[in-house]
Formats: sequence, C-alpha cells, structure tokens
Amino acid sequence: MRQKRTWPIHVALISVGAVMLLPFYWVLKTSISGDNIFTYPPSVIPRDPNPFYYVDVWYAIPFARYFLNSVIVSGMTIAANVVLNAMAGYALTQTFRGKTFVLLLFLSCMMIPFQATIIPAYLITGKLGLLDSYLGLSLPMFSTIICIFVYKASFDAVPRSLIDAARVDGLSQWTIIWRVMLPLARSATATNVILSFIWSWNNFMWPLIVTRTPEMQTLPLGLARFLSYQEDTTGALYAFCIMVLAPGLLLFLMAQREFVQGLSAGATKG
Amino acid sequence: MIEAAVKAKAGSPALRRSTRRAILIWAFLAPSLLIFLLYRILPLLWNVVLSFEAWSPLKPAVFIGLDNYQEMLFDDDVFWQSLWNTLGLISSAPIGIALALGLALLVNSEIRGREVYRTTIFLSYPLMTVAVAIIWRWMFDERVGLINYVVRSLHLVDTPIPFLNSFTWALPCVIVANIWQMLGFYMVIILSGLQTIPRNLYEAAGIDGANAFHRFIRITVPLLKPSLFLCFVIGMLNSVTSFDLVYVMTGGGPGRATEILITYIYKLGFNQTRFDYAAAVTVTFFILLLGITYLANRLSGGNAGAVERD
Repeated sequence: MRQKRTWPIHVALISVGAVMLLPFYWVLKTSISGDNIFTYPPSVIPRDPNPFYYVDVWYAIPFARYFLNSVIVSGMTIAANVVLNAMAGYALTQTFRGKTFVLLLFLSCMMIPFQATIIPAYLITGKLGLLDSYLGLSLPMFSTIICIFVYKASFDAVPRSLIDAARVDGLSQWTIIWRVMLPLARSATATNVILSFIWSWNNFMWPLIVTRTPEMQTLPLGLARFLSYQEDTTGALYAFCIMVLAPGLLLFLMAQREFVQGLSAGATKG
Repeated sequence: MIEAAVKAKAGSPALRRSTRRAILIWAFLAPSLLIFLLYRILPLLWNVVLSFEAWSPLKPAVFIGLDNYQEMLFDDDVFWQSLWNTLGLISSAPIGIALALGLALLVNSEIRGREVYRTTIFLSYPLMTVAVAIIWRWMFDERVGLINYVVRSLHLVDTPIPFLNSFTWALPCVIVANIWQMLGFYMVIILSGLQTIPRNLYEAAGIDGANAFHRFIRITVPLLKPSLFLCFVIGMLNSVTSFDLVYVMTGGGPGRATEILITYIYKLGFNQTRFDYAAAVTVTFFILLLGITYLANRLSGGNAGAVERD
C-alpha cells in the first residue's frame, strides 16, 4: 500500500478543496471589485480592488448594532448553557429517585426539533412578555440536552477515588465540584461553549419570529433584511457577507481541533 | 416525598443529609427541566390541541375536530407540494454521504497535508447558513454567477440559465448548497468511524487475496454502517429543518417550487396568521420526522445517534 503513488489522491483532493473554496473566493472577489458587478464576462481576478463596499456597509446599515445584539444574545446563551448544563449534568451523575424518569424525559425531548415547536413557542414567549427582548431571543436555547450529556459523560469519567480522596481531605461538596470536577471537565466546557456559540450566532428562524424592531435584530437577520431591499445588485451585500463570516471563520481556524471535536460530539450524541 | 419527610422528621443526621442531597439534585435539574418544559413539551402539546381548533389571536378557540387535517390532506396543493419537496431534500442526503465517504477514504490515506484538506473541506460547516445562502444565490446568478459563466464558457448552453427562477432547477440548486455545507461534516464523522476499523483486518484480507474493491465492500462498508446511518439521520434532520437556506435562497419560489414544510409552516403562521392550521401541518411534520428517524434506526439495526444510558 505504501509504495503506491499518491499524486492521484492529491489531485482529487485539491480539486474538491477548490470546489469548496471557490464560492468564498467568488464572493470575496465581488466584494472588493471596483468594477460594475454586472459586466459580462465576469472577471476572475478582482479588477481595481478597493474597500469601498465595506465602507458602504458601515454607513448603509447599523452593522455595529447588529453585531452588538448578536454578541449579547450569544453571550447570554453561552453563559447560561455552561452553568445550567454543568448543573444538570452533575445531577445526572448522582443516583436519586426519579432519575430514570428524568433521563427518559431528556431523551424524548431530544426527538422534538425546535423548528417543530415555533408557533406555540412564539405564543408562549408572547405570554411571558419577552417578544423583542434579549431574554426572549436567547431563553429557548438556554439549555441543550446534548450538552448536558456531554457534561455528564465528562463528570462520569472523573475517577471516584479522586472524589473520595478529596472528601477524606475534608473538602465540601461545593469545593469538590468547583476545584476537582469542573477543571477536569474542561473539554466538556469547550464543547458547550462552541456548540452554544454556533447555534446562537447562526440562528435565524427564532430571531426572525421574535424580533419586531430593527434595533433588536441580530446579524443573520440584518443580512437577510439587507438582501430583501438591495436584491443582488450591490457588492455591499457581499462585503456584508464577508464581514459576518470573518469572525466565525477566524474563531474556527484558531480553535480548529476543539471545533471539530465539539461539533462531532454534539452530533454523535444527538 | 412523604417518605423523605418522615425520614427527615426521624431526625437522624445521616438521613437529613440525604434529603438535603435530593433537594440539591432537583435544584440543579430544575432550570433545565423548566426550559424543556416551556419550550419543548408544552409547545408540542399545544400544537396538538391547536390543530383541532379554529383559533386566531383575537378570537376564542372553537373545537372543530379534524377539519384542519381534512383541509390539509384534501384541499391543499401547497401542503402536498411542500411535503414532496421536503422528501426530495431528504433523499438528497445519501448523495452527500456517498461523496463524503469517498473523500474520507482519500483523506484517510497516508498522504502529506491531510490536515489541510480536512480543514478546507470542513470549513463550510460552521458557517452562518444565511450567508451561505447568499453566497450560493450569487454563484447561481443568471447574469454573472460563476456557474453560468463556466457552463457558457464551455459552450454547454447558449443562453444563461436562470437557475433560482426556474421550476426545474431551483430545488436541485438548494440541494447543492445544502450538500456543500454538510459535506465536510459527514466526512469528519465517517473519518472517525474509519479510524475504529482495525488495520490488521485489511492485512488479513490482503493475504487472502481480496482486492481493494472487495476489501471496501466486505470490510469498510459493513463496519462503517453505524457512522453512515448517523450521517443519514443528521443529514435528514438538517435538510428538513433548513429553513434559513430556503428562505434566503429562494423564499420557497418560484411559485412553490422550493417550498418545504418548515417554510410553509412559517408562512401560514406568521404571514397569514393561521396558527391553527399551521399547527396541524406542524403535527404532520413532526410525525413524519419521527417516522423517518424510527425507520433509519430500524434499518441501521441499532441505535444510531442514541445516547448511551449508563
């Protein structure tokens, strides 16, 4: 097997990689082209590159506002997910009456995709008076079953002897959770942060339903709104796209291993 | 609970500690349980109730039995159209998975730069779907989209194809964008499946004279079955719930050519304020999802995607 030539594999993978990257390039090229974007044939390399479209975006739409909203909603979601899921995950490592019931409840909730609940979820949010508020935007995502199980698995992996040793040393239950369990479950925390970030940052449908005023819109909504009144006629739309994608991409490239692990953990468990 | 109370009254410190422990455990579970109750269980039940009623926000609810379902099944072409489109989207998942399987086999071979290839192919998965939809709208653009440019340069067609405004092409275009986004993700799952296959199986088969094709059919595919079905379940759930992609790429159009159940539910509820009827469609949608997941589980002969209960 080893002495086989590898260049056909490289050729195949490079061409697939090119197909995967090409759409990015095409949009990036459009966003910095100085040309009229409807010239035919379209140029493959950007002619007369300039950042004007990016400046346009900055002045045409409240980008900072959308960005801030996204950051607030994601921040709330991430914080709530880490705290609530760690708590629930820890509770599930204990034995108590009704545990089977709780587990069954969680597993069956996992079968209900959020999209299948939007209408009553909207009505409930309305009844709670949370429409068009940060809390209303993030509350449904405050806890995720998959992430609870990620924490549970991680806590389960902490050796009992270690906990017993800590107890013998006279540490209280709380100190054990804070000083022993949580530091050892760091990868579960990373998974929680990444998954809840991705889900809340990219979420489109729920904000679309819950927000009323432009002041509360998050980035994906702002992008869709921009599209709806600009159509495809301006490079600014593509500049906006790049601006929206850049933070996520950078984060992904920086914490690549954690992302891949977290996302596949999220999927294999759910 | 009564038992616990009695025990607490008995006053033995050990027992009191166990009650305190139980309270702590339930206090830890309470916030999550409350959220699932509020945003999963309650909506599900409410949907079912609502689907048997005639109701709109300003009118009192009237029980109308199966009228909503009757209208949906017998008088609503849009419902059927979106149901078929949804099933079409689901059945495209295996194409993506097959592609990903090929890629995973290539990336799994011992070549230089496999990390780079893996990253490149995975890159599209964590992206914001709204932006992905806008990117692909631009790729499929009639006048200056890259795809039209390529097919015209190759003289495959003379006039540009208005992909997203065409009844034939719109749904396949959405499918292409969906596969593009999911491909790397399927690949990563299959890769982790491949890494669990012991190498010596291949060596043994090689000694027995099995060629590459036989090794693939007899060893790789059977042992990858759980990963492949996992991909299918995820791909299916992802495609039926890809509201953002359809909403931004085509808005369900042209006509209803790319309407799927989830976009139809949204439009019924929030554009036409027909919450009651939308609830009936939602219940059907949910039953469809459950049915397909169940079927996939049975076919895989195991518990794809199930959480191991200790």
